[in-house]
Amino acid sequence: MNRRALAVVLLGAALGFAQKPPSYKDLKYPALPQVRIPEPAAFTLSNGMRVFLLEDHELPLIQGSVLIHTGNLFDPPDKRGLSAVMAEVLRSGGTKAKTGDQIDEELENIAGSVESGMDETSASVSFSGLKETSDSVLQIFKDVLTDPEFRQDKIDLVLSQLRSSIARRNDDPGGIPDRELMRLLYGRETPYGWQIEYEHLDRIHRDDLEQFYRRYYFPKNMMLAVYGDFSAAGMKDKLEKLLGGWTVEQPAVPAFPAVTAQPAPGVYLAEKADVTQTFFAMGELGGTFLDKDYAALQVAANILGSGFSSRLVSQIRTKLGYAYDIGAAWAANYNHPGTFRISGSTKSQSTTETLEAINAELEKMRTSEVTPQELDTAKQAALNSFVFFFDSPAKTLNRVLRYEYFGYPKDFLFQYQKAIGAVTRADVLRVAKERFRPETLSIVAVGNPKDFGKPLATLGKVNPIDLTIPEPKKEPANAAGKDRARQLLARAQQAMGGADKLAAIKDLTQSVEMAMDATAGGMKIKQRNRYVAPGYFRQDQELPIGKMSAYTDGKTGWLITPQGRMAMTAAVLKQAQGEVFRHIFHLVMADRDPSLEVSAAGSNIVEIASADGTVRLELDEATGLPVRESHQAPGMNGSPIDVAEMYSDWRDAGGLKAPFKLTIEQAGKKLAEATVLEYKLNSGMKPEELSQTP
Amino acid sequence: MIVALPTGRRKIVLAVTGYLRHEPLVTLKEMRVRLLLLLFPVLVAAQSLKDFEKKVTEFTLSNGVRFLIIERHEAPVVSFHTYVNVGSVDDPGGETGLAHMFEHMAFKGSDTIGTRNWTEEKKALDAIEQVYDRLDAERRKGLRADPKKIEAIGAELKEAIAKADNFVEPNEYDRIVESSGGVGLNASTGEDSTNYFYSFPSNRLELWFLLESERFLRPVFREFYKERDVVREERRMRVESSPQGKLVEMLLAAAFAAHPYRNMPGGWASDIENFRRPEAEQFYKRYYTPGNLTLAVAGDVNPAEAKRLAEKYFGRLPRGPLPPPVRTVEPPQEGEKRVAVASPAQPFIAIAYKRPDQYSKDDLTLDVLSDILSGGRTGLIYKEMVRDKKIALGAGSQATFPSGRYPSLFLFFVAPSQGHSIEENEKALYEIIERVKKNKVDDATMQRVKIKLRAALIHKLDSNSGLAALLASYAVNYGDWRKLFTQFYDYDRVTADDVQRVASTYLIESARTVAYTFVPAEGGAK
Repeated sequence: MNRRALAVVLLGAALGFAQKPPSYKDLKYPALPQVRIPEPAAFTLSNGMRVFLLEDHELPLIQGSVLIHTGNLFDPPDKRGLSAVMAEVLRSGGTKAKTGDQIDEELENIAGSVESGMDETSASVSFSGLKETSDSVLQIFKDVLTDPEFRQDKIDLVLSQLRSSIARRNDDPGGIPDRELMRLLYGRETPYGWQIEYEHLDRIHRDDLEQFYRRYYFPKNMMLAVYGDFSAAGMKDKLEKLLGGWTVEQPAVPAFPAVTAQPAPGVYLAEKADVTQTFFAMGELGGTFLDKDYAALQVAANILGSGFSSRLVSQIRTKLGYAYDIGAAWAANYNHPGTFRISGSTKSQSTTETLEAINAELEKMRTSEVTPQELDTAKQAALNSFVFFFDSPAKTLNRVLRYEYFGYPKDFLFQYQKAIGAVTRADVLRVAKERFRPETLSIVAVGNPKDFGKPLATLGKVNPIDLTIPEPKKEPANAAGKDRARQLLARAQQAMGGADKLAAIKDLTQSVEMAMDATAGGMKIKQRNRYVAPGYFRQDQELPIGKMSAYTDGKTGWLITPQGRMAMTAAVLKQAQGEVFRHIFHLVMADRDPSLEVSAAGSNIVEIASADGTVRLELDEATGLPVRESHQAPGMNGSPIDVAEMYSDWRDAGGLKAPFKLTIEQAGKKLAEATVLEYKLNSGMKPEELSQTP
Repeated sequence: MIVALPTGRRKIVLAVTGYLRHEPLVTLKEMRVRLLLLLFPVLVAAQSLKDFEKKVTEFTLSNGVRFLIIERHEAPVVSFHTYVNVGSVDDPGGETGLAHMFEHMAFKGSDTIGTRNWTEEKKALDAIEQVYDRLDAERRKGLRADPKKIEAIGAELKEAIAKADNFVEPNEYDRIVESSGGVGLNASTGEDSTNYFYSFPSNRLELWFLLESERFLRPVFREFYKERDVVREERRMRVESSPQGKLVEMLLAAAFAAHPYRNMPGGWASDIENFRRPEAEQFYKRYYTPGNLTLAVAGDVNPAEAKRLAEKYFGRLPRGPLPPPVRTVEPPQEGEKRVAVASPAQPFIAIAYKRPDQYSKDDLTLDVLSDILSGGRTGLIYKEMVRDKKIALGAGSQATFPSGRYPSLFLFFVAPSQGHSIEENEKALYEIIERVKKNKVDDATMQRVKIKLRAALIHKLDSNSGLAALLASYAVNYGDWRKLFTQFYDYDRVTADDVQRVASTYLIESARTVAYTFVPAEGGAK
């Protein structure tokens, strides 16, 4: 070999060595270090609340969450969304001592958080804070959990936001197919599949929230998990001190409703004009994690459509280029059947072709065994990534909590690991045949059929889905509101001494001392107001400037002032009629007057509408007595101003209960305070007496 | 049951810049980790930095590839984040979306991964280009082109592609990762960066070094034209079928007259539909040079072992020059711009003001301002527009949009409540902005913002994937990962006067672009 040749060989060898690509197949892996699975400390507080603690000292944080045995499956059918509204206002509505806004500031000042959430089969209240301020966060957490106030303004806020969400629910096409598929699979009129509409929100009131809260939020119905930078022994004492005194009890919460839906196979289309893609979802009901074939189903669904190396991605995305987003999942639940689901999107033109290609892949899964390599890949993927179940203490704690909540065996995850290892190709074929059933499959497409290439009907009869959002049903909503208003008024009447006694009032004399607010001149006024049924009214006033009298028979009237006597103008007459109409003894009887419309405007608010406008009457939640009346009156410059009257100092008055203190507000500012010296009832006054000139 | 409840998070999520390869795992806010508002009381910053000095090992190979190794031995897992200093701003003219297209190709394998017979496959791939060249040549004749010829060559092209596909081992790269226990496999392309990431059980460390180096050493752009269709579908999904996506696209196109921030990272439809493989290969050669790569490995990893493997696998990458910077500078804006976008959906409005790049002395102050305006439940916009007036379903701001390397935008995004108008919301927002200019923010608010942001950082430090992404991003954007901590000294110096000053300097009408939706009349644009 000459020197030149040798040089070439050496050069080649060097290059060959440097450039020879190593193969991943040649790599040898060391054994994976043993996973340390922390064991949470578990105990029960004296009030019956289960607690799990896990120390984690990596970062100076303390976090936790209670898991509450309730869920939106418990929503009443006519008040869908109630539990979600309740959960939101549990936090935003504040506590008895603090408003939600105050809590927002307090928490953010210390970088803490307390949040409340509602799922299908559980609710949560969670907290998170820096170690150094965790006591303050824990205190707020406790107050929110045990002492919520459900303030009306925050109920109004969340209802308004939910209404806006309903209005927007068809705007993002990507969210529609899954939603409509779930409704089909679980039944549109079951708690699993129904949808919140405006009419349901209209029926949700404050006392509904309180009732829901009281029924489900009690210590024995929840489990608390806390993890972070603390010592378990110290935290145990702290929690007992913090929560042990909360001892409310309720009967055990019943089981969740069963899934009753029947399959709704077929092709469904929701038309949407403003998209260039068709979004689709297809599926049928599946099972729970406890399903004996769960591991095999998981493997089968993964081979079909989970991950970039799955069949659907390889075929529909990589090979055909039809879709960016495509996948399948066997989505099991803990305690009720989950779903088997395939979803994705494709340009309008290739809609039908894509769905056909998916059907073909499904059919392949059902008719022939997967390849050994596919099975191996799917099993290896599951087994090799198993360690990620344990990569943070929070995951471990959460799992322990879930297993306990749903009554799963503690070692369920390891049973699953074993089951995955045992899955065979025959198993995969068998479960695909049994559980991926074309004859029960529902297919939902959302798109613009004008741009479809092949018609969708190629796949079978196309059932339209109407996405129109139902407007609030005026009549039924009113009916419900009316019933509620009647209940509230009846309760108020009862509290004031009974409807019969109120109805029996023929005449009334009311002596009043009124003090105008300092900002309104500070004047003192003496008043005597006399009423005779049905509409006679006389008012005599002593003002620093002299005496004034007014009289009306309901149709005409006069005024006597230091300047002399004059007939009432239409505007003044109306004002006088308003005074009569809004007298609290009269107002609470509004349900008996067929010319008035009554409706509930909140859990303790009645709106009373007459031809002259609407009066809002707020009632005390505890006593049922009126608290406040508000309405709009013509202002000085013609534009309406808000006027309100607040009632307090309720005492006996001739067998009835009556407010002896009245506070009057105008445009949100206090105008006057009136003290009632006497109520004289049914003294036998005649209308003629009222019309006598002083 | 189906319920769309407003959650505790008050910001509207704009999933528009993250051009992920699959699911939108990362929201716009999280995407640009380098821009996180991070205020850190000085002591804690110092402590954390001291802790991290012990955990972080940094080295650069002789060819320029840079590594950050972050030790965290809590569990036998490890996360990887490759931060490539290239983004859609680097897309050549007429080829918008090319950086994103390459990102997709980086999952197609190499001459050893993803092929059944490389020699034959290479021939078939070259044959495709020859046919495609003929097709392009005929098309370029314009009006004199022969439609029949085009059709014939088109059929030939299809055949050539089908032939090459026979040699493909489909999705082998993905399969190796997934079957080895990889989780979170994905990538994203932004304006200023391209990111590749996933996690492995820690005993598969070497496999990552092998696979990650292969994809940048000798990537093969197989199935290019199929993937081009996939990328086109991605645009349909993220932009064309999304009312928010469309609005943001129009906002950017209006706000920037010249700078490439005017293009969404996904590119324009016609550019995507005409990508050619050689163009993507050229792009790769120019921008995927070793000095443009920074890789972070966080978790149960031995730094000495990592360094050995880095040299073994990434040492193979041939040296190359650093790519050229973006040349185009956005000219000054001469007055307010307004864009109306037809959309039958419920209304949205986006309001954006020009702001300087992330290296400006005002950068951190703008972050603070944004948090004062829209952070948490105490932000002024949330309190006033969402909570009290109830005129908005959601309203938020973002100090830096769409990205920060070049002068960009301070963005407001509002979804009006049902029954409330865009005009009403726009007016309410301006009133708040004017108030911030007029009245100095109180000390309590300044203090709250600083504490909140400190906690936000602590919460980010508890995951391997988060750490890898954060440190890589800071290392590239600011030269040193330590900036993640040391910037808190600067944050601490931000005063209420500064906040007032930057609001008055930047949130001005003449630097504003407003984009809003309107419902077209019947028979109009649909």
